[in-house]
Amino acid sequence: MPNLHEIYSNTRSFCLAKMEKYPRLFQWVVTPCLILSGAFITNGIIMYLFAYNPIEAYGSAIELTFGTLSGLSETLVKATPYLMTGLSVAIAFRCGIWNIGAEGQFLMGALAACFFGTKVVTLLPNTSWIAIPLCLLAAIIAGGIWGIIPAILKLTRGVNEVISTIMFNYIAIYFVSMMIDGGPLQESSKTGPQSDPIALWANIPPLIRPYRIHSGIILSVILAVVLTFILFRTTYGYQLRAVGEGAAAAQAAGISIPHNTVRVFFISGALAAFGGATELMALAPVLTPKFSPGYGYTAIAVALLARLHPLTTIASALLFGALAEGSFAMEAEVGISRQITWMMQAIILLFVIGFGSIGYLQKQTSK
Amino acid sequence: MEIFEHLFTSMIQASAPLLLASMGEVVSQRSGVINIGIEGMMLFGALFGLLGSYYTSGLPFLAPWFGILLAGLSGLITAAIFSYFAIKLRGDQIVIGTAITLLALGLTEVLYRRLFGGTGTQLGIHDFKPIEIPLLHKIPILGEILFSHNILVFLAFLLVPCVYFFLYHTQYGLKVRACGEHPKAISTVGSNVLRIRMLCMLFAGAMAGIGGAYLTLADVPYFLPGMTSGRGFVALAIVIFGKWHPTRTLVAALLFGLGYALDAQFQALSLGIQYQWFKMLPFVLCLTVLAGFVGRAEAPLALGKPYDPSE
Repeated sequence: MPNLHEIYSNTRSFCLAKMEKYPRLFQWVVTPCLILSGAFITNGIIMYLFAYNPIEAYGSAIELTFGTLSGLSETLVKATPYLMTGLSVAIAFRCGIWNIGAEGQFLMGALAACFFGTKVVTLLPNTSWIAIPLCLLAAIIAGGIWGIIPAILKLTRGVNEVISTIMFNYIAIYFVSMMIDGGPLQESSKTGPQSDPIALWANIPPLIRPYRIHSGIILSVILAVVLTFILFRTTYGYQLRAVGEGAAAAQAAGISIPHNTVRVFFISGALAAFGGATELMALAPVLTPKFSPGYGYTAIAVALLARLHPLTTIASALLFGALAEGSFAMEAEVGISRQITWMMQAIILLFVIGFGSIGYLQKQTSK
Repeated sequence: MEIFEHLFTSMIQASAPLLLASMGEVVSQRSGVINIGIEGMMLFGALFGLLGSYYTSGLPFLAPWFGILLAGLSGLITAAIFSYFAIKLRGDQIVIGTAITLLALGLTEVLYRRLFGGTGTQLGIHDFKPIEIPLLHKIPILGEILFSHNILVFLAFLLVPCVYFFLYHTQYGLKVRACGEHPKAISTVGSNVLRIRMLCMLFAGAMAGIGGAYLTLADVPYFLPGMTSGRGFVALAIVIFGKWHPTRTLVAALLFGLGYALDAQFQALSLGIQYQWFKMLPFVLCLTVLAGFVGRAEAPLALGKPYDPSE
């Protein structure tokens, strides 16, 4: 058995030496590739230990994901919520806020969109031009407020946001369940734990029929670009980043920490909620208890692999979308439980941490 | 009256897994390591506890103990992975903890599916049966509430004085606490900070694993994906509410046990209130308690900060 720590140390010192020469190439291209190949190999070894054939599994995943148009469309569809929640986490972490609550904020966004889509837009003129923006706005506000509560708890009562946002995730899960299972949003026939389908004119239509790909992916890519601009080209973004780099120094420079904390939590919550709303309005006309398979937790891996930069989050979200889509193929062809994606995400995260000591995670001081 | 008896009995039982996990966490946090992966370690413990008992079911009396052994080992190994990344490589403890929890969510389900095809099936394992402490259990009311449980409950409560004694009345306990407050100081007097933290982390992992095994070996005899459903995170909040002190943590664990007991009892009563209110209860309780009763600056000073011996 080779000494794993030795292999790691050698790779690390090799990278360190090369990084001096080509810092950008290594930070953005070579290290992510090393991380991913390491993670895929490790995951393959675990599959092999469980007596599955990793080559067959990966092969079927790649074939489904990139080999067919519908697979490609599904990859983009699945990448959309990862991108939104990934952006939410990336912004928060970069600004020094440990928001683990994207899951809850995602659900609250979907819940608000569901409430407006089933109960409110039916009272208004039946046009998409009113219904869709209204639902999205409702989601943004709901998610933002859900995000602000931990901010207030942190600022006024000193409650650590890691714990409080995790608690709010569970509360959101049971709150959604309360609304759609025996609550006011349950379907009119009261048979199952799900909501009525949202009004037809509040649905985001697919871009290319018969595939499910919808404009949510375009919206989220635009959002990523806008966020990059705000973060790196405006004073406002500079202030947000300054707090993340060092709260004490930022405060000394006259930046208000409480204001920034509330802002970051609002933006972060709103982004995740936006993802929840588009997911509901484009794909699932009904809200069910299993609406999110844990997008908010995967988002942490998405954001960290992207080094907390909004633009690279796009690539990272695509990768995780492909992983999620590929896991369906692995389950169908090789019989591995689809939940293997969780394991894959965890291994990627651990490799990111492993390479963290060579500055992979260090926030850049320049752009 | 009977309802209160049931309520307090199930409070004691529900607080046992929380207590096991949070006692480990008290030790690891006192040494300066925050273990968010506790949820994942409990999940591993739940599965491996079940497997240990299932594969040794030929020995009815020993089987659950093999379960505990395997669960403790699984927690220990997970903690070793955590330690490598968090202590040796000095990675961010929150991110690693999240990764460990994700790893457990994935690995447990993949493994269970591989072994048994589906989830949630009854396996017919030997679990811990309630035992009655001679004489004491005959005390009216109190006897039933306090002295008629399975052995794990008694062991969980016995762990509290042990951890207390270790932390406050042994030399090694003093070192552990110093590691969490001022690692540099303890390092200059010749102790190995990294080794102390790693050992504390291994203990925390084993305890979290055994706490998780309580769910399958003493509560329900089957495994469900994600069946710990936030208990690990609640244990984390218990430690904070208990101000990193074993006996206060015991009080906190009982309080949260009551939260879970209310859930179980009120669902059975069917009062016409939506059941989700009670499911939410432990988490709302967590937030209220953290916001209302915990002052600032109580945590060990070096908590969550990786230690670099070369500095």
